[in-house]
Amino acid sequence: MNQQEHDQHSLTRPNRRTVLKGAASAAALGTTGALGAFSNIALAQGNLRAQILQIPGIGKGAPTDADWQKVGELCLGPTKANVKEGEFKGVELSFMGLNNQNLHNLLFRGFLKPWEAYTGAKISWIDLAQADYNPRLQQAIATGTVDFDILEMGAPFEGDVCGKGLASEMPDWVKKQVDIDDYVDYLKPPVGTWNGKTYRITIDGDCHNFNYRTDVFSDATLAKAWKDAGNASEWGVPKTWQQVQAVTKFLKGKKIKGKDVYGYLDAPKPWGGFGFYFLGSRATAYAKHPDDKAWLFDVDTMKPRINNPAWVRAIQDVVDALPSEPADQLNADPNTTGFQQFLAGIGSMIPWWGDIGQVAKASDTSVIGDVVGFDILPGSDDVYNAKTGKWDKLASGPNHAPNCAYLGWGIYVMARVNGDEKKHKAAWSAAAHVGGKDLSLWTVMYPSGFQVHRTSHSNIDEWVAAGYDRKYITSYLNSQFSSYNHPNRAVEPRIPGIFQYYSIAEDELTKIFAGKVDAQTGANNIAAAWEKLTDQIGREKQIGLYKASLGV
Amino acid sequence: MQDSSPVAAGRQDNVASKRTTPTHRTFGRGFLILASLVLVAVLLAQILHATGTIDTGFADWRPVLYAYLFWSIALGVEQVMVRGQRGLRALFLLPAVLFTLAVVIFPTLFGFYIASLDWNLSSLEGPHFNGLNNLIALFQDDYYWNALGNMVFYTVSVLGEYVIAFGLALLLNAEIRGRKFFRVVFLLPMMLSPVAVSWMIGKSLLEYRFGPVATLARDLGWDNPAFFAHPWIARFSIDAMDAWVWIPFVMIILLAGLQAMPKEVLEAAKVDGANGWQSFRHVTFPIMLPVSITVLIIRIIFKLKLADIVINVTAGGPGGATDTVSSFIYRVYRDRSNVGYGTGLAIFYLLLIVVFLMVLLRLSSRWAQKVA
Amino acid sequence: MTVLAPAPHRKRRTAPRARWAAGRVLIYAALAFWAFVCLFPIYWTVTTSFKSAVDVTQGHLIPWVDFQPDWKGFRSLGLSPDTILQTSTARAEFTSRFTNSVLASVGASLLALVLGSLAAYGLSRFRYKFAWMRNDDILFFFMSQLILPPVVLALPFLVLYKALALLDTTFGLILLYTLTVLPIVIWIMRDQFNSIPIELDEAAFVDGLSVWGAFLRIILPLAVPGMAAAFILSLVLCWNEYFFAALLTSTDAKTLPVMVASQTGSQGINWWSMAALSTAAIAPLVLVGIFLERYIVSGLTTGAGK
Repeated sequence: MNQQEHDQHSLTRPNRRTVLKGAASAAALGTTGALGAFSNIALAQGNLRAQILQIPGIGKGAPTDADWQKVGELCLGPTKANVKEGEFKGVELSFMGLNNQNLHNLLFRGFLKPWEAYTGAKISWIDLAQADYNPRLQQAIATGTVDFDILEMGAPFEGDVCGKGLASEMPDWVKKQVDIDDYVDYLKPPVGTWNGKTYRITIDGDCHNFNYRTDVFSDATLAKAWKDAGNASEWGVPKTWQQVQAVTKFLKGKKIKGKDVYGYLDAPKPWGGFGFYFLGSRATAYAKHPDDKAWLFDVDTMKPRINNPAWVRAIQDVVDALPSEPADQLNADPNTTGFQQFLAGIGSMIPWWGDIGQVAKASDTSVIGDVVGFDILPGSDDVYNAKTGKWDKLASGPNHAPNCAYLGWGIYVMARVNGDEKKHKAAWSAAAHVGGKDLSLWTVMYPSGFQVHRTSHSNIDEWVAAGYDRKYITSYLNSQFSSYNHPNRAVEPRIPGIFQYYSIAEDELTKIFAGKVDAQTGANNIAAAWEKLTDQIGREKQIGLYKASLGV
Repeated sequence: MQDSSPVAAGRQDNVASKRTTPTHRTFGRGFLILASLVLVAVLLAQILHATGTIDTGFADWRPVLYAYLFWSIALGVEQVMVRGQRGLRALFLLPAVLFTLAVVIFPTLFGFYIASLDWNLSSLEGPHFNGLNNLIALFQDDYYWNALGNMVFYTVSVLGEYVIAFGLALLLNAEIRGRKFFRVVFLLPMMLSPVAVSWMIGKSLLEYRFGPVATLARDLGWDNPAFFAHPWIARFSIDAMDAWVWIPFVMIILLAGLQAMPKEVLEAAKVDGANGWQSFRHVTFPIMLPVSITVLIIRIIFKLKLADIVINVTAGGPGGATDTVSSFIYRVYRDRSNVGYGTGLAIFYLLLIVVFLMVLLRLSSRWAQKVA
Repeated sequence: MTVLAPAPHRKRRTAPRARWAAGRVLIYAALAFWAFVCLFPIYWTVTTSFKSAVDVTQGHLIPWVDFQPDWKGFRSLGLSPDTILQTSTARAEFTSRFTNSVLASVGASLLALVLGSLAAYGLSRFRYKFAWMRNDDILFFFMSQLILPPVVLALPFLVLYKALALLDTTFGLILLYTLTVLPIVIWIMRDQFNSIPIELDEAAFVDGLSVWGAFLRIILPLAVPGMAAAFILSLVLCWNEYFFAALLTSTDAKTLPVMVASQTGSQGINWWSMAALSTAAIAPLVLVGIFLERYIVSGLTTGAGK
């Protein structure tokens, strides 16, 4: 993991007046180009980052509107360097994004209010619930009713938007303002680009990590029972899926401190396509071979791999584990497993996006803040080789393949602003402000819906200074960055209609998990349906896009 | 169906014929012809403009809407001028019919058109004509037929709701104290939005570990109250939630009907020596039959559209046990952007329901005549 | 007609009180039971809006006994005592959506009531014939508007409204909602008018009123219970309509249901916010219900025709 050396000059806590004075003067010096001001700017920036992280303070309750506006105000520096005050007077922009639990768009409103005040532009907002997002986007595109200038969108949909020429290309000044090279490796091109052009300001990074209960795996009673059951290995956090299965079966019926304890939690219920990622997390270790870039489809033909032995084994794992999980697990979607179960104390292992780690301590939904640990997804003792059709045992040990699922949210500007130069600059300026480097540090530390995505987020000292517990945050950031930078990571294909594949698979999977059809037959059904879908979307183009998304 | 009695109609017609003069009639017809010309002209102009044939035109199709309004008014005027009394009668029905036609005609036609396409919104090649392939795929679609099977169960359960709602309506119609309180309280479930019902009841109240209903079930001896894990229990749970929301609807209509019932008939029955059950069976129920049929038909239509609760609580599970046609179409249309096939599924469903309802109406009117 | 024999009459003097009392108890017990069934989920929703996370997941029931109530839910909406005077984006969203919901629902219900009552009266009193369609067919035509699942009208309506520049307008929503509730109004009012004897109409004609005069002055006031019922039902259906609101609105016409649905997302479920929003959303409907309840009480249609 990268450790950026960072100069923390201030030994005394700077108060807001001195910081603002410093920032203002540094910015003023910056615009006049005085060379000697650079170190001042660095000092001001460092102080700025520490400053914004104290609003309102970790563990001091959920941030409010006023907090968002304060943070937005403090991070206006890069905008001020590129835009004159009042430059966009009279410009009206519309911003379409999510309203997820009063985050996302509501945060953006707070951040952008100072921007609006400074630049004179006005923004109107279109808020969508997560479930409506994709259909609305698709239908708007299909009927030509694109009525928004700026869009908050997930990377998987780039195929639908950028591929149809609906997005505006990122100007170079924006790339500099947001410091585009700061993104972690897996979020650099080809992600965010289409045909070589960059379209995306990344504000979020997504991958599945492994969340587990430290108290369960250090419990002496359970350790003894484990040994008594005849297991040779020590009782501890599983490192491979084979171990996860064994532990889950073992924990059935056991108790810890008088309460029932469960092992791994699966999410068998469909969740608008997102549920498929959870099967994916189980399967990538089996299906993603280090020598093969592809893991979901064959590269040259788009033939689905969903029914190859690796995936079928993963599906079978779920079927085998379900009897050892809570009785209503069939009705649990990932939302349930993450927030109603794991954070509420049920279950000892789940894969999820970084939200669990972000929320376990900083938000009030959780009761396990002190006993949760993080790691990259478990590996597998053997991995399936699609070319030879055999299971390989790697010389380097178990095969790990972190599932970089969904890739995260980004801000895009729509091509419809391209005709108007002022509007074009205004839209990109707003997008760049929201995607700013310092602002992003705040969003990944506080409940926002966004996770770490920049190398500059990996400075543990900054997190500790903000109020995070060192051990906790080291474990969490390690799990995230090790997944992002892993050489054998499985990255989400950004082909058009990818969520349709997931949705079809989810439907068929519920039948398998409910016992109506066996794993192999069900997987064959999914493969057949996927083939039909690929033909419907256009096979030749899909193959080309799949190759481009893999960087082949 | 009631019609003006012959005597009254005759008298009215005499009055009417006195009112429409030849001048009136020509004016009426002329006005209508003028309005029709305007409508056609505006429509043609806009079509030509939209296809790029001519330059002059309006920015959007609003003028067509205004022309249609103008034409509707002209039609009303013409009816009264030309047909006199009968025109006045037609005037009752015209606004609703014209309104419905205007809003519905284009979407329906366009919907039929889409249903004939193979159109995936993500498809890079765009829509293309599919003929009857959508229909063939429909017949081979396991999920669709599974959902149709579930709809049979859901529809039959409407009878249960009807019985409960009728009982409640009778109770509320009786001489009780605090009637206003009970009436308002019984109306409340209907007001909770489907999203709130799915989450607050389905996911919170019925939650396996700590939901109050689960706790109650454990107290009553059911060890593992997993309301949505077993197919039939899941169906009943979903149905119970939907029933809870809609029983007020059925009840309020039945109650309005009971209120409108003339009291003397019941008095007469009591004088005749009928007890509660007999007076209900032979007097109340037959009188309430038309209202009952109305409310049952409407309730069945809404039941056949059940989707929100299923989508939010079980996503059609477990293993498709609670899936409804509407929620399946939701998935096809929204999650998979397969709009051509989805529209086809819906139109086939519409036709099925239309046939079903026609049969139901005919049977019930025959039965109503027998009972009455 | 049977003549009552004296003997049973004597028997009834002693037994009826007890039987009457037992009947009363049963009636009130049934009423109380169903009132509990109706109220408990709503009570649950309201109390959840005052809970914190732990209380929700542990299923605590009674405030001040099981858990300490907290303004959390309403604070997240900007409606708690401490946030009500500060700027709150969530509250601004809530108020604008609330207003739009009111406008769209009331507007659509009124329009549907007007159009529907007229049509229902016509269908009840007169025999229409248009091409091959008679009254029953016309009724069926209206009813068939109810049947099509809204999801498949999504694309057509999007295209239609874009062409008519009705996207994101409250007026556009009103038109659409009127279409969806019109059939219900027509059916309810038709039954209501059917139950009003034709003699009243004729009496009005005798008095010299025209068809419209009779309708407006004599018949309509008698149909108030049906109108009240139809209005409440239309209002509730429009108020909670989710699908088209999510599709056809952006900034100007957005309504409340989408905000309720937004309370769940990728970071879990904000039970307290959702409960607070649901409580706030149901409150106006309850008020309307309380207000209109007395109009459903008839007393006016008994003993008709004098």
